[in-house]
Amino acid sequence: MSPTLDSLPTGIEACDCLTPFGDATATTGALLAGRRALQMQPVLGAAGGDLVPLALCGSMDETVPPRWLPDLRRLVERIPGDRWGTARRPLIVTSSNFGVGSLYAFTRDRDPRHLRHGPPFACVEMLQREFGWGEQVHVISHACVSAHLGLVQAARLLHAGLADRVLVVTFDFVSPFVAGGFHSLKILNASWPAPYAVRATGSIGLGDGAAFAVLTRATTPLRLEAHALHNEMHHFTGNRPDGAGFDACAAAIAGTARGRRVWVKGHGTGTLEAGRLEAEAYARHLPGAPLVSWKGSLGHTLGSCGLVELALALAGLRAGRLPGTVGGAAPCCTGNVALEAFASDGYDGAILTSNAFGGAHAAMLLTHD
Amino acid sequence: MPDLLNARLKNLIVQTLRLKDVKPEEILDHEPLFGASRFDLDSIDALELVLRLEKEFGIKIGSSEESRQALATVATLADFIRGRPPGRDA
Repeated sequence: MSPTLDSLPTGIEACDCLTPFGDATATTGALLAGRRALQMQPVLGAAGGDLVPLALCGSMDETVPPRWLPDLRRLVERIPGDRWGTARRPLIVTSSNFGVGSLYAFTRDRDPRHLRHGPPFACVEMLQREFGWGEQVHVISHACVSAHLGLVQAARLLHAGLADRVLVVTFDFVSPFVAGGFHSLKILNASWPAPYAVRATGSIGLGDGAAFAVLTRATTPLRLEAHALHNEMHHFTGNRPDGAGFDACAAAIAGTARGRRVWVKGHGTGTLEAGRLEAEAYARHLPGAPLVSWKGSLGHTLGSCGLVELALALAGLRAGRLPGTVGGAAPCCTGNVALEAFASDGYDGAILTSNAFGGAHAAMLLTHD
Repeated sequence: MPDLLNARLKNLIVQTLRLKDVKPEEILDHEPLFGASRFDLDSIDALELVLRLEKEFGIKIGSSEESRQALATVATLADFIRGRPPGRDA
């Protein structure tokens, strides 16, 4: 199966995110300073368990109303414009978690109030009420490429003439249920994530994250020019060992960047094999393009990572410096990995990637004047 | 004389993974359990097996890399368990 390539340029009118460091500007500043938001914390929150790297905005334990609602409200207050969720201004909400932790909390506590925001659509209905959003809401959940698919859907709506502006909102807040699941899979371990490093044992970290983008057909200084999507159809949790899945997506998006000088913000969670396959694919298709991952500091914000990290890339461009691979360490699996921050001068584009369980690959080309 | 731990592990593998057409004694000590193996097991099977082993033997497997090495064969699994006192973290 060949990758899907959507060359549907969209202008970015606004974009910001929320991490434990704060908004995109504060977070990028922390990354540039080499700071790590991850802290070793009990994997099951108040219930204890092994210490694992988590980057949280507060206590992980589920509450009523959900502990993440005030954080999300602070982010939503920064969204420009109004009437989101109306016919010409639809809203796309993405997450890989929604309120899944609350469903687990219900089984533990039998408090029916957890059920109000547990299932995805109930969760989105709660957000519509909280934030005054209208009925034109698309809900997308596809594991860790969820936010990226939201951006693709927005581009398609805009180019089909079905919308004038689209708001994409994404959020993923860690819960004991989710952290426990990754811990059971043995990929959330007692060591810090070091994306693209050559070492004996890999580990991811998990992080709270939320973000938004307002997209338009108009030409703006910052644009998403193209998206490549691909699914290996190989395995639930593993990639094709020959790297063909990474290669297909990298080849497709690299083709859209011909003639540009780009850098690459990779997915780079800290798992060994996937990190190596991704680094090798981009070294092959975009030789000379520095490759970075920011999950060694922020952890993996799961379905929201695509948009959270887009907001950070934009903040880096505004600052004139792009964070290196915080938490990474030499030796790296390929020579294209940039451990240190670097100036954005001389670049006119970036490739941003996300990957997900099920062998899903997504990559987009960000361009700027 | 058969190794008692190996025999126990073979029983546990067949039970946990519900291998219908495999008898425990048919599993060889050094044959691959995952990857290029006749059992057609995947990472979800590995997860189930790891959780069962952790409960059964009171051990901790700390990472996917450690899990892959330990679960290579019945013999490597037995060696791993013998090298891990119960309750010791990886």
